[in-house]
This record gives sequence, structure tokens and C-alpha cells, in this order.
Amino acid sequence: MLPRLKRFADVLVGDRDEGASLLGRALQAMLAEQHRYRRGTALDVWAFGEIYRHWLHELRDHADPLARAKIDDARFGALFHAEQDSYLDVPVIAFLKSLPVQQRLTLLLVYGEGFDHGSAGRVLDVSPDTIAARLVRITAGLSDQLSDRAPAQAAATVEPLYPEGLSP
Amino acid sequence: MTELSDELLVAYVDGQLARKQTRAVEKVLDQDDVLAARVDALKHAHARLEAAFEAILAGEEVDVSAASAPVEDGIFIPWRIAKMALAGIGIAAALALAIAGYGWPLSLPGGSQIAPHAAGLSGDWQADAARAQALLSRQSLEVGLESQANYDLVAFQLAHILETNLKFPNLQAQGFHFVRAQVLRYDGVPLIQILYLAARGGPLALYAKKGEGSDTLTPGRYGTIRTVTWAEDGVSYLLAGEVDDALLMRIATRVKLEPAPPLRSAPKPYTPVNDALDTSR
Repeated sequence: MLPRLKRFADVLVGDRDEGASLLGRALQAMLAEQHRYRRGTALDVWAFGEIYRHWLHELRDHADPLARAKIDDARFGALFHAEQDSYLDVPVIAFLKSLPVQQRLTLLLVYGEGFDHGSAGRVLDVSPDTIAARLVRITAGLSDQLSDRAPAQAAATVEPLYPEGLSP
Repeated sequence: MTELSDELLVAYVDGQLARKQTRAVEKVLDQDDVLAARVDALKHAHARLEAAFEAILAGEEVDVSAASAPVEDGIFIPWRIAKMALAGIGIAAALALAIAGYGWPLSLPGGSQIAPHAAGLSGDWQADAARAQALLSRQSLEVGLESQANYDLVAFQLAHILETNLKFPNLQAQGFHFVRAQVLRYDGVPLIQILYLAARGGPLALYAKKGEGSDTLTPGRYGTIRTVTWAEDGVSYLLAGEVDDALLMRIATRVKLEPAPPLRSAPKPYTPVNDALDTSR
């Protein structure tokens, strides 16, 4: 499970070294607070959630959280260098980097980890409907970019993610 | 054209619909080419996302396997024996890389190329040893083994000898620890050799020499030795070792992405005054 946790931390912070550091701190916190683990919860879902919460907690303590959450192009790209001759999907990497972290993690949990919407929602502390709505918006956006298709008209097909006047 | 929202189509592509809904969507897709093309595009995006996340996981598994290799018996040995072993490793690496050709054509100080069986040397080992000898210089012995424990001092010495800042990476995260560094010579020009060891296997060496070249990471191999070469900031690099291709490329990528080091100043020797000044800061 360690490589999966490491991948989650890397994608979260957008940097392999920072990801390793975050994972180390989060694992220490998990060991110290293991009593919070509820029997019956999938261990991976709990661990991913703990890493995410640990990151949020640290971010809130930071003087400039927005600057802290910014990621570097080269370091983010380096996450995808798995093998020397492997194909590097630059458009997809650029798209992932452009996403807010919660959306990036939604993709990872559903498409990378194969979680259902409920489990992904438990990790990110949102409802399954929010996960579904994010996936629609992100996947449709990526699909449009990759196929050079004009973005779908919101009035025709896309459900609003938030009630009017409550945009994030 | 039938109106089906992206929400429904994405749920279909992700396999989130009930069987009955799935059949209904498939029926529509059979009759509507535009919608079928949209579903294909969504599936394509889905597949590329999965592949991208798989690539990250593959890298993590390589990292974890390298870092978690068990430590072999005998790693904690007396320093005197260690020095001999390290010297041997340095020479072995020099020989191995001499055989590999370093990515630069080997030549004698005078500039003439060395042929493997040239200059009247009959055995292969003698020719190889002569190649390695051509790489040694007085400076090779001036960066002494005793100073190797002081990482900053070694980094300063190497940068001073090369007359430019070079990367001196910490590869602990990749499972390799720094063992020693020395200065060889290629055509009268200093050639830096930085040696690392993992818990098992042969040495990994990073070579650096002043010079220009392609900044692209270029893989290569000689026998069982894998290499990656590149150049940046007026320094030409060669990473070489008997390690997995993917791991070597990942280490080279890490080294290349590492920001250039700041200009190094000579570390201050310990004196009571220096110590008091440092403490008072």
C-alpha cells in the first residue's frame, strides 16, 4: 500500500520530495492517533483521508496558503517519469497540473485507485454527488481539450455544481 | 440528435449506471453517431488519465523497492578496511567506466586515442588498467579519504577544482548513500567522480566535467553498465551504474531537476573563535 499512499501524497503536493515528506509526517500522525481508526473502515480509504486532512491542517497554519499550494511545472512533470522509454502524455499532465488539488485528487481516487464515489467522497470529505459532479466537469473538460471540441454549452447539458449565488 | 447530458455519459463510461440504464444508453448510442463519438472521446480521456496515474505508481514502486532493499551483513566494518574497500570500489568503477568509454572518447594526456590493445600491452586487463591510469591525476589523491566524511568540504573542493559549481546530489531517497568523490583527469581537464552505494549491488557514479552538450537526458549502456548523459550550466554529466534502466533514468531526472547549488564558500575550520561566532548568531 505504501506506493499508493506515496502516489496520493505526490499528486496532492505536486512534488515527489515534498510528497515523501508529507507522507512521513502523516504516517507519524496516523501512528500517534491510530485510536481514531474505526473498525470496518477500509484501511486505504482511512489512510488517504488522513494524509489529506494532515495536508489541510498544515496548509491552514501557513501564512500564505494559496502560495503554498502552488506547484512547480518541472517537479510535477517529473512525477510521471516512470520508465525511460515510456510515453509522456504532456497534454494530460498539463491538464492535471492546472486543476485545483481537490479535483486532481478526485481523478486519482476514482480513475487511479478505482474507488467508488462514496469512498472517494469519504477521503475528501465531500458527498458522492460532489465527486460525480467533479468527474463530469473534469472529464468532459479534458475530453474537449484532447479532441479540440468546443466546450459543451452549460445551459444544454451541464448541471450547475453549486446553487446560484454560492459559487466556490 | 438525442439529448443526453455529459453527466449521464460520464456515469456510463465510468460504469456507474444500473444495468437497465446502461442498456438504454447503449441503445441510443447505436443510433446516434454524434453521441457515440462523444462517448469515445470520454473513454479516451478516461484511459489517458488512468495511464498517467499508472505511470506515477510505477515510479513509486521502483523507489520503494530501491529504498527498502535489506542491508547486507558486513556493511558495518572498521574504517581502515572500509577505506581499502572504498579505494577498491573507486578503482573498480574507474575501470568499469574506462571500459564503458565514459561517454567521452578516452585519450592520453597528449590527446592520442587509446586503442584497447595498443602500446604493446598484451593482456586485456593491462590495456584497461592503462586506460584507468590515464584518468588519474595528482588531484585524484589530493581529495583524501579522510575528508570524505565532510560533505560540504568535498563539495567545495570539487567545485573549486572544476572551477564551476556542479551538482552534488543527495541520493538517499533513491536508496544510494554517498561514499566518496575524487578527481580524475581527461585530456588534462579535471573529471569529477562521485560514488554512491546502495544496500546491495555495484557502485553508482556521477561524473562531471566542464563542457557543453545536449541538455536532453540520453540513455546508453555498455555491457551491464547503464548510462545517462546530459549537460547543463557548462557542465557535462554522466550517470553510470549496474542498475535498472528505469531507476537510472529516474535518478538522472532527479539530479537534472535539482536546482543549481549556490556558490560554495570554503567551510571554516574549527577554532574556538569560529565556534563562538557561530554560536552567538
